[in-house]
Amino acid sequence: MFKFDVLAEDFIGILMVVPKTLLLAILILFLSTLLGGVIALIQQYRIPVVAQIVKVFTSFLRGTPAVVLLYLMYYALPQIAHLLLKIVGIEFNPHDLNPVVVVIVTFSLTMSAFQSEIIRGAFMSVSEGQIEAAHSLGYNFLQTLSRVIMPQALMEALPDFLNSYMVIIKALSLAFLITVVDIFAQAKIMGAMSFRYLEAFVAAALIYWLISAILTALINRYELRLRKAY
Amino acid sequence: MLTLKNLRVAFGEHEVLKGIDITVQKGEVVTFIGPSGTGKTTLLRSINYLEKPSDGEVKLSDVGINFKSANKKDILKLRRKTAMVFQQFNLFKHKTVIENVMDAQIAIQKKSKKEAYEKSCEELEKVGLLEKKDMYPSRLSGGQQQRVSIARALALEPEVILFDEPTSALDPELVGEVLKVIENVARSGMTILLVTHEMRFAKNISSKVVFMDQGHIVEQGTPEEIFEKSTHIRTRQFLKEYYETEEELAVANV
Repeated sequence: MFKFDVLAEDFIGILMVVPKTLLLAILILFLSTLLGGVIALIQQYRIPVVAQIVKVFTSFLRGTPAVVLLYLMYYALPQIAHLLLKIVGIEFNPHDLNPVVVVIVTFSLTMSAFQSEIIRGAFMSVSEGQIEAAHSLGYNFLQTLSRVIMPQALMEALPDFLNSYMVIIKALSLAFLITVVDIFAQAKIMGAMSFRYLEAFVAAALIYWLISAILTALINRYELRLRKAY
Repeated sequence: MLTLKNLRVAFGEHEVLKGIDITVQKGEVVTFIGPSGTGKTTLLRSINYLEKPSDGEVKLSDVGINFKSANKKDILKLRRKTAMVFQQFNLFKHKTVIENVMDAQIAIQKKSKKEAYEKSCEELEKVGLLEKKDMYPSRLSGGQQQRVSIARALALEPEVILFDEPTSALDPELVGEVLKVIENVARSGMTILLVTHEMRFAKNISSKVVFMDQGHIVEQGTPEEIFEKSTHIRTRQFLKEYYETEEELAVANV
């Protein structure tokens, strides 16, 4: 039968890896937003050659399952790192590459394609008229960007960024495939130790749900405040 | 003090302004009238360099720009001496009314917050919206938003203020309050260039009226000369469409 004391035990056990998972997700969110920003800029200004390469790159990222990419990177990244470091003269054993690095790189890349779309949309949401008004008042490019465009784009993008954060946390459950221990991996381990998988997975599901409920509440409150302002 | 010479603007193959020459004296109120698509708005926007003219020169007190060789510095200088009031108001929607009026003073004129605040209150008082200073633009009516945008322009103490169809986007009952504010601005001695379809207002407020058609200036003169004594057939035809009743036609003597 279902044992609630096992559930409680698993729940606490899994809670231990929650900070690590959240931190990992924050790091991935930050890196993918940075990369997404660069992609958005390249596409916005249609920089020749680079823009085409980026287009193929993002289309590849969007068209491949995360699991496949994760495995691909797990086997390819150490070799790439080995090759690149060899050029600069550093000896690097491909087997020394921490799988956490592979997870960070892979998910930062996959999320960057989505982040770039969010950023592009946020910038487009600032009306052309306001930008013209800033120009007509004598704002230069940087002043227009920092005083008119950025504040509005950021407010527009923030709920979407929080949503991306949730997506990343859930996507990290795949990380166990390459031995990185997140919420899901921890549940598997705890289940295996007690041979009570059901309780472990229920605990994991509850924790995912809890995190996403808190984040959703945050987003809703923010959006409500936003709508009140303007 | 404001001179335009041979101003030409083209959108691709289509030439919108075909060589405009005009001189505006300090304190003059110059109104541009004419059919839609004639280039009146483009003319105003060129003075602010929101359109990029293909040829011509502009001179505003000590700033002179040849449009063929304009650099960024010149353009900023020109923009800082002029202010534009748009058809769609274009207030910064993430800033409150007072922040809208303050921001350029702080960013561009490098005023202290206190100075900018005081100046902004003064200008908002003039347009009768001081009590709305902490509201966001979306909470205001179109007429109120336009009055804020006028305060924002005036707060920079420009040498010339450009009104681009300031009442065209407004509900009819809101037009009056905005026209009244513009009238006050004109009375204060500000140099004004105005594009409008409010013919009666143009007639009352202008020191000079310019009739444009198909990218050219057809004629210019005092309101009386244009509205009542014009001998140009295009001008008379255009004005006829604007007088609605027989009575008005008779009074205007078109």
